[in-house]
Amino acid sequence: MIPSEPSHDEEENVAPVKAKRSKPEETEGEAEVFHPVKLSRSDLYRPPTAEELNQLKEAESLFHCSLLKMQMEELLREVVLSERRKQQIDCFIQTVTSLLQTVPRSPEVELGDLSWLSGAVKVPFLLIPKASKGKFHMAPPASVNLIGSYPLGTCIKPSIMVDLAVTIPADVLHPKDVLNQRYPRKRALYLAGLAQHLTSSSEIGTMRYSCLHGNRLRPLLLLTPPGKDSSSFTVRVHACPPPGFFKPSRFHPQRNSIRTEWYTGLSKSHIYIGSPVEPPTPHYNSSILGDLLPRAHLQFLSAVSSQCSAFADGVALLKVWLRQRELDQGTGCFNGFLASMLLAYLLTTHRVSNSMTAYQLLRNSLNFLASTDLTVNGISLAKDPDSTPALADMHSAFQVVFVDPSGHLNMCADMTACTYKQVQHEASLSMQFWDDPTVDGFHALLMTPKPMIRTSDHVFQLCELVKLQSSCKKLNLLSELMDHSGNYIDAALPFILSLLQRGLDQRIHLLTHSLSPDPEWSVESEAPKHKAQPPLSFGLILRPELAASVLERGPPADSPKAAEFRQLWGSHSELRRFQDGAITEAVLWNGETSYEKRLVPRQIIAHLLQLHAGIPESSLRYVGAMVDDVIKMGHEVPSTGEEQSLKVVQSYDDLSRKLWRLEGLPLSITSVQGAHPALRYTQVNPLFPPHSFYEKISRSLVPKEGKPCPAYITPVTVICHMEGSGKWPHDHLAIRHIRAAFHISLGELLSKQHRYACKPCPSHLDVWKDGLAFRIQVAYHREPQVLRESVNAEGLLVVRDNEDAQALEMATVHRPLLTSTLHGLQQQHPCFGAVCRLAKRWLGAQLFSEDITEDTADLLVASLFLQPAPFIPPGSPQVGFLRFLHLLSSFDWRNNPLVVNLNNQLTAADYTEIKNDFMASRESLPVMFIATPKDKKLSLWTKQAPSVQMLQRVVMVAAESLKVLESQLMDGNQTQDVRVALRPPLDPYDVLIHLNPKQVPLLSQAVDPPAVKISRGVMSGNVAQSGGALPVIDYNPVSHYLAELREAFGDLALFFCDPYGGTVITVLWKPKAFNPVPFKTSQMFARQVEVTGEEVHTVPNIEAILEDFRVMGKGLVKSVEPRTERWAF
Amino acid sequence: MAPSKKKHASGQTCVIPGGFTVLSLQFSPDSPAQHKLCVKEHKVRAERSSHRPMDRTLFVLNIPPYCSEAVVKELFSQFGAVQSVELRDHPGAFQHSGPKLATFFKPAEKKGFKVGYVIFQNSSSVSAAKSHPLDVPLVVSAGQHPVSTGVQKWIQQYRESFIQPDKLQQTVDSFMQDYDKRKEEEVERQKREAEEQQEDEEGWVKVTRGNKGAKARPHSEAANQRTLQKEIVKKKRKELMNFYTWQHKNTQKEHIAQLRKKFEEDKQKIALLRAQRKFRPY
Repeated sequence: MIPSEPSHDEEENVAPVKAKRSKPEETEGEAEVFHPVKLSRSDLYRPPTAEELNQLKEAESLFHCSLLKMQMEELLREVVLSERRKQQIDCFIQTVTSLLQTVPRSPEVELGDLSWLSGAVKVPFLLIPKASKGKFHMAPPASVNLIGSYPLGTCIKPSIMVDLAVTIPADVLHPKDVLNQRYPRKRALYLAGLAQHLTSSSEIGTMRYSCLHGNRLRPLLLLTPPGKDSSSFTVRVHACPPPGFFKPSRFHPQRNSIRTEWYTGLSKSHIYIGSPVEPPTPHYNSSILGDLLPRAHLQFLSAVSSQCSAFADGVALLKVWLRQRELDQGTGCFNGFLASMLLAYLLTTHRVSNSMTAYQLLRNSLNFLASTDLTVNGISLAKDPDSTPALADMHSAFQVVFVDPSGHLNMCADMTACTYKQVQHEASLSMQFWDDPTVDGFHALLMTPKPMIRTSDHVFQLCELVKLQSSCKKLNLLSELMDHSGNYIDAALPFILSLLQRGLDQRIHLLTHSLSPDPEWSVESEAPKHKAQPPLSFGLILRPELAASVLERGPPADSPKAAEFRQLWGSHSELRRFQDGAITEAVLWNGETSYEKRLVPRQIIAHLLQLHAGIPESSLRYVGAMVDDVIKMGHEVPSTGEEQSLKVVQSYDDLSRKLWRLEGLPLSITSVQGAHPALRYTQVNPLFPPHSFYEKISRSLVPKEGKPCPAYITPVTVICHMEGSGKWPHDHLAIRHIRAAFHISLGELLSKQHRYACKPCPSHLDVWKDGLAFRIQVAYHREPQVLRESVNAEGLLVVRDNEDAQALEMATVHRPLLTSTLHGLQQQHPCFGAVCRLAKRWLGAQLFSEDITEDTADLLVASLFLQPAPFIPPGSPQVGFLRFLHLLSSFDWRNNPLVVNLNNQLTAADYTEIKNDFMASRESLPVMFIATPKDKKLSLWTKQAPSVQMLQRVVMVAAESLKVLESQLMDGNQTQDVRVALRPPLDPYDVLIHLNPKQVPLLSQAVDPPAVKISRGVMSGNVAQSGGALPVIDYNPVSHYLAELREAFGDLALFFCDPYGGTVITVLWKPKAFNPVPFKTSQMFARQVEVTGEEVHTVPNIEAILEDFRVMGKGLVKSVEPRTERWAF
Repeated sequence: MAPSKKKHASGQTCVIPGGFTVLSLQFSPDSPAQHKLCVKEHKVRAERSSHRPMDRTLFVLNIPPYCSEAVVKELFSQFGAVQSVELRDHPGAFQHSGPKLATFFKPAEKKGFKVGYVIFQNSSSVSAAKSHPLDVPLVVSAGQHPVSTGVQKWIQQYRESFIQPDKLQQTVDSFMQDYDKRKEEEVERQKREAEEQQEDEEGWVKVTRGNKGAKARPHSEAANQRTLQKEIVKKKRKELMNFYTWQHKNTQKEHIAQLRKKFEEDKQKIALLRAQRKFRPY
């Protein structure tokens, strides 16, 4: 799963360069450091020219700063086609055109007769039903023209598509061909004829069939140039009727062009008894109409674009925006053509002016999209609306309406209402980000991809699309099926979407669905069946406050809506009486724990699809809580620990109340604050083992040799500030003693008044309460200051910052504050805790928990909720976790500070200040810089770790894990094991120390917990509320061992271990560890001397070190495995 | 790996340039690997401390983490009676530690490799240690004096972390009494000094070198900044903005200069990002 780089050893840890950058830039890495600009006085104050003044003013008024403008320009430069590429394309187009002109004529045959085609080329069409009348012959095209984005200049990288319209000569067609798929078939045959002619040519690279926006009635021939350029661009050959060959009025959305009799093969009387009216076929009509108009559209757009100089750039930006949101490809997409038409609409209706810049065009079109609902109020580009179908007719036939300049064609015919709602949602979100000066709008809008799995809180897939065929029958959709010429997926989709929308109603913000990609197949094979499409994916963006409700309360039993409600929910709907006395219809779903409740939407969807569309649950693949497995626990009821966390917090609240009320303390308590992840719902595994005991000494239990290590009990840290008073001594040693005295008296009072078992120590007081261990630390607010002060030799008071003071401040001031702030965040976003826990579980499993500490990880996750741009805050642990991995892997730590706006305390000015400070002193700041309202300049939490090398590795592993997870979640055919992302690769390490599982207290939390349970003296069942013997608290041999190893050999090697039940410690020698150094008394640790003449050098005494690994971990270490193949000693 | 070829013969002491003798040390009699200790008599010109008498003190480098002071004492007592052992993280002058602390109030020790100062009772023991042969290793954990490591040691630590509350209270009380006494002494001393600076009956003040206890204006960067800031604020309050034409012109000029500066900065940022290929949307 993780990249297996062969050369990945010490070098990787040396090169202080970002992993993503390519080779040539590595060398100049140092040169491109940002330096504050220094302009001379004369430069700054010279009189401005009018032009310069304009430019500066424009930048100031239009953008937040000129930076955005420049960014846009750079982006455009990246996506537009180069001159060289254009020449290549023009040259290839010429070749193709001349080849196409030489298509030979063939004799006239019946339409159904395919014998004139050689076997090598198939017809790109599903011939169902088979029979059709008419004659066909091949003839050279009447004309070959470029259409679409390329001649318009709005074609952008990547996947360059050049559209070529080949006009079928009029004598091949017949005006009546509109009926019963005759024209589409002729078109397909004509394309097959062209393909057959082109196969013999060597100037064509590959040839494939596809169809336009997934519409099987409109096949395309894809041509690529030969040789190494074959992947650089694709030419799409469209076959079109001569302009004006069919009368546009024939394609009115209310008219029928496919006869039921022909389609079903039954006589009329069988189907429509008493109603001889044929159903309208709007989609079929518009698919043919679409072929008639491309040249007219091109003319129209070029006319518009010649008026507005920034038109092409505006369209390009809009296309990039759409592409990042996966909206620009597939069936019913909002494609680049629509984007151009939209801009043209805004220009012709004078909503935007011709002199606007590309940035303004983009902004205005997004604003228009956000505020206009095309599903209700369609828009039209038609000049004389009288002679064309009314908008109302369009609305009755299509879900989304945007009429083209001719007035006959609805360009959004295939788009579902859901897709348009998604576009609207995205547009309004984008506007929001743009107006927020604290968000990097450019990045959020144009640079960040939004794949469905990372955007939607829950995703589900319909795997066996063939089942939709029966749904069509069940939903009685024959006329729709006819209209879509047998494409049962497109026919059934709108109905399924509206069904789900009704069922999920208030629980979701938005329902989206994937746009099935355009199929592509080689010219030698038959057109693929409809069911060969990849599974349809649906995304839900949940409203967290309502989504998890287990009750669906319906209308009162006697209201007329009750019948409708019963019809929707079927047998699940029951009459219920509520506490307020109302008797209403209601549906009750299963769910006790929040893990189960999060999956209520799944129950709803499965039920509705089964009931109304006949889709069994087995063909439904619900990806909502797959990743949650990793933190799942509980044996009877599956749960992800929210309930346990709540219990811890409640118990803490009780303790803090009791502390406040204690009487008889010499000084009063001024604050009680939690300072532990468990008190902000982010403890990875909050399930505390009830009891663990071995040997007893004076009412306390201690571990025993020769027995497995007792279960680990985490002490939950509570900081208890005491009132300031003149009596506090002004000496740090004395303060420590006074604190110890407080611990003793607190312990006495607690055990006397509340009968808790207590264990006072100089540094803390352990309290055993409700099966939880609390570690109370008394703090005095002036202590850090006292630590900083010292009296120098001359008797002057010197204030000097030192590590002790900082550590104390961290523990007694910053951490409690962070804990309470994040506790507040959890109240706003119910899945915050679960995301943190997933993130930390991953970090632990990948051996990064030393580098990205718990606090840092929680802050990183908090930033996902506070600055979700371009998304909205995660509504499920899964999506939150994926975004966490994406943040880790894609954030540009080198050039940007990550600002976590806790409690929304930072203003835009603060952001600028933070950024400027950061830029000014980048080199001296931590590699991973996280700013919070209380800490704008130092990045307290990441000061110690990670190092450049470790961050680089984290970035790399995160990217790989994300890739593996996302592909697994979106593809049901892969082996479904999310734990793959949690198994670290062990090959980059030099020594592995295998631990004895019996002495690893958290073994049950391991990624792959062993099947055999080890008795750890855990007493299950009821634990006495208070009193009883004190269990073994905070005894973890693994962490003791790691601490000793790091202290002894920290200069030579790095040690890694999964703190949650890892049974292996991995060791990596530092790159320079083995270099001999001259003999020095201060550098002679774990080394041996080498004498050459008069010079003495020392080198590490590897054998003795390996022996020390064994000696220091006696009883814990099972074996030490030196991987000498990686290094020699 | 061995220091030198000719000193490899059995029973030889191994002396390296610099005057250190190399001794080998292994954890238990059957350990496969050995640490190399370097020992030398303690000889520092600057230090004339009674704590480390020159002739009787042996300076030892590279003591492994599992050797406590007691263990080292035991190890070196084969060369003669050991008076005391001092273990340090780094070699350096003897530092007088503060008031004596109870064991559980001592700050946690670093558990890494140490240097040691072994003070023998007789000076002959130093030379005995220095002539110990390389291939006869010292053994840390021999039969009658086992040294506990690993799980055994951690369990022991856990047991020791239990302190009787009354005993702890006692320690605290005695320390605080001690502290109060010291404090009083300090106050007394300061008072005496202050008295010395008082005028005598004839109006003379005794001037001494160094002004202990006297407070002067703080000379720190922060304090200077603060006063400067105060001045600027005061000035700003008095000034009328954009009142005269020249003021207005100046503000405009300043604004344009600001914009220019920003523009240049942004340009540089972009250039930086472009160099890193940060504008590829996909």
